Amino acid sequence: MSGYHANAFTKGSPLGRYVIKRFVQMVVLFLVFFALSWIALQAIPGNSIEQQLRLNPNLPPEAITQALARRGLDKPPLEQFWLYTKAFFTGDLGVSWSRYPQPVSKLIAERLPRTVMLFSVALLFQYLIGFQAGKYLAWRRNKRGEIAITIAGVSLFTVFYPWFGLMMILLFAVKLGWVPTNGFIVEATWRGAPVSANHVMVIMFFSLLAVTAFIGLTSWASSRLDQPNRRRLVKIGAWVVGLGGFWLFWATNQYLVYAKDVAVHLVLPVSVLTMVGFAGVMLITRTSMLETMKEDFVTTARAKGLSEAMVRDRHAARTALLPVSTSLVLAVATVIDGGIITESIFGWPGMGQLLLASVVSEDIPVALAAFSFTGILALLGHFAADILYGVLDPRIRVTSQG
Amino acid sequence: MTISNEVSNDAPILDVRNVVMHYRTEKGDVSAIENVSFSLKSGESFGLVGESGCGKTSMAMALLQLQAENATFKGGEIVLNGEDMLKMNPAEVRSHRWSDISMVFQGAMNAWNPVHRVGAQIKEAMDLHIRPQLSHTESRERIASLFEMVGLDPEMMDRYPHEFSGGMRQRAIIAMALSCDPQIIIADEPTTALDVIVQDQILTELKKIQHDLGMSIIYISHDIAVIAEVTDRMGVMYAGKMVETGPTIEVFHNPKHPYAFLLLSSTPSITGPRRKLAPLEGEPPNLLDPPPGCRFHPRCPFVTDQCRTEEPPLAEIGGGHRVACWNWESVPPLSEGLRK
Ligand SMILES: Nc1ncnc2c1ncn2[C@@H]1O[C@H](COP(=O)(O)OP(=O)(O)OP(=O)(O)O)[C@@H](O)[C@H]1O
Ligand SMILES: [Mg+2]
Repeated sequence: MSGYHANAFTKGSPLGRYVIKRFVQMVVLFLVFFALSWIALQAIPGNSIEQQLRLNPNLPPEAITQALARRGLDKPPLEQFWLYTKAFFTGDLGVSWSRYPQPVSKLIAERLPRTVMLFSVALLFQYLIGFQAGKYLAWRRNKRGEIAITIAGVSLFTVFYPWFGLMMILLFAVKLGWVPTNGFIVEATWRGAPVSANHVMVIMFFSLLAVTAFIGLTSWASSRLDQPNRRRLVKIGAWVVGLGGFWLFWATNQYLVYAKDVAVHLVLPVSVLTMVGFAGVMLITRTSMLETMKEDFVTTARAKGLSEAMVRDRHAARTALLPVSTSLVLAVATVIDGGIITESIFGWPGMGQLLLASVVSEDIPVALAAFSFTGILALLGHFAADILYGVLDPRIRVTSQG
Repeated sequence: MTISNEVSNDAPILDVRNVVMHYRTEKGDVSAIENVSFSLKSGESFGLVGESGCGKTSMAMALLQLQAENATFKGGEIVLNGEDMLKMNPAEVRSHRWSDISMVFQGAMNAWNPVHRVGAQIKEAMDLHIRPQLSHTESRERIASLFEMVGLDPEMMDRYPHEFSGGMRQRAIIAMALSCDPQIIIADEPTTALDVIVQDQILTELKKIQHDLGMSIIYISHDIAVIAEVTDRMGVMYAGKMVETGPTIEVFHNPKHPYAFLLLSSTPSITGPRRKLAPLEGEPPNLLDPPPGCRFHPRCPFVTDQCRTEEPPLAEIGGGHRVACWNWESVPPLSEGLRK
């Protein structure tokens, strides 16, 4: 069974080299980002920091001395940087100035999963729906519905996003009352809850990830089976087992009520993000598909007697996926700025809101940490998208040797 | 590898009868194939020759029903083993593709999908057409033996197309074309993009494979010398029409259509007698608005009034040699050349 793919992941394979190279790039990029954010902080003169600290009503005097000592303001800049770096990488992020004495690491640990949850689910939907829509749009070119969907897509793509978000809240939350207007949970539901909301959300995230990975990997493996009818059986089986398992897991789960609460709050932001983002993916896919459909290898595929669906999915769409996965790299980067806007509109207490709040309240330790972790998040997403691209396009692995 | 060496009856396995195919464009209809007929017997190799744009690729694509979307058939039949392909539904057409007729495309450099392994792309066709279906190991063994046959290292089947050189890709395409034991292989300019030495090797190999496996081959080229080297019978196309067909030796040494005659006299011959080079003057006609009568008449040195109005039929002149010309008897032997 392993014949065709046996050598793809072996040591020193082009893909392996590609991944290592990308990883090193990511680490270097993070270090640069980390140093730059520290230098930006240096632009604030030391005594003004001290003044600010003294003006901050949340901080007792011993906290101020502690904070100043932590930064080693009496030491030369390089040593200050070293102190800061050492502290950061040993997990000591200091305490929040605006929410003294909460440790910064606790704040981040609380906020980070929420942002990851919201955006990974939204990105997943954006790409799944956008890719399928774009694929059919190109394939059914000049047939009915194409123009309508394209116009809808372009309008969604170019709409002023905060306005659109507010309109959707107005419609679905205020007018129709189908979903909550904002927030992450309803406090009342969680009074006396045996778990934290974050814990439930992490379980939700990983159960979703497990199902997606299971269905994805099984369908992929099924295409390597010999008999076509068995392939289809395995594919259908993967969906049934995956979705059934997911349902069973949650139906018997004691945290179901809590999970439902979080899920209900996710619906609107995820839908709005999906609607705005899927249009872009759809348009890229459509363009890319129209390009690939003209390629000679699509004619070869037809000449071999493949059915139209096989030509479309295995040849045209599979190759059209390459530019689409490049766009994922960019999409991940927009999570940083989009995150602040989205989380503000929907009152989602994630990293974006934390960043905004800490900057407004001049809570420098939190701002710095939030900034660094948002950066890490974006870089990890970028890294994942890069690897995906390398897996999808065998040619890129060769150029990566240079 | 089963050999389809049924040289039983003389019934052709492929019979193209009076096919007319036009391309619809904004400027009007392009008359790309106009009343073309030819047939192919089992084990035979047939050559199709003509200038660029005369409709060779259009004809080849029509045989697989892979014509462009704007193409329409205005008449004729493409009879494969007694069945008219133009009357088949898409599923029936698909079942004949590659299993009965496979193709080595013009400019096959881009005929491979860059994201799939070459072996997997061949296996895809075999999974579809070979019954009972081969197991994974059997497929690999079959691909390995095909690779050996076309002079490729079997290890290469696990590589991606970009790891192949141009010549290797073309060999692999030939291997793929052989993979489902087709009765007919269409080779559309299979070597034009390659350098001369590789061209020669591939031609020799194709010839040998065809001889060993006994399949029929339709060989398309603008180079009449190549056609002469590899085919038993040949047809000369001009501006969408078949102007001369017959045994290759006959057409090559004794062309009777003025176009074929000029084409051959402008081809320097190394082996044959020295020929005076008579240039083929003028341009092929615009197929949006082809000339009335014989399509070659504006360029023809033997033109008469009849040629300007009446279309000459493709008529037998003996020994299976057919010519579509009113004045074929005025065409001198090739060795004499054209007296100016
Ligand atoms: N899809 C199309 N729409 C309109 N015209 C077309 C189309 N495809 C081909 N043609 C025209 O039809 C004629 C025949 O083209 P074809 O590709 O069959 O020629 P060819 O003999 O294979 O030429 P070459 O030696 O350059 O490959 C040409 O005049 C070409 O411009
Ligand atoms: Mg051609």
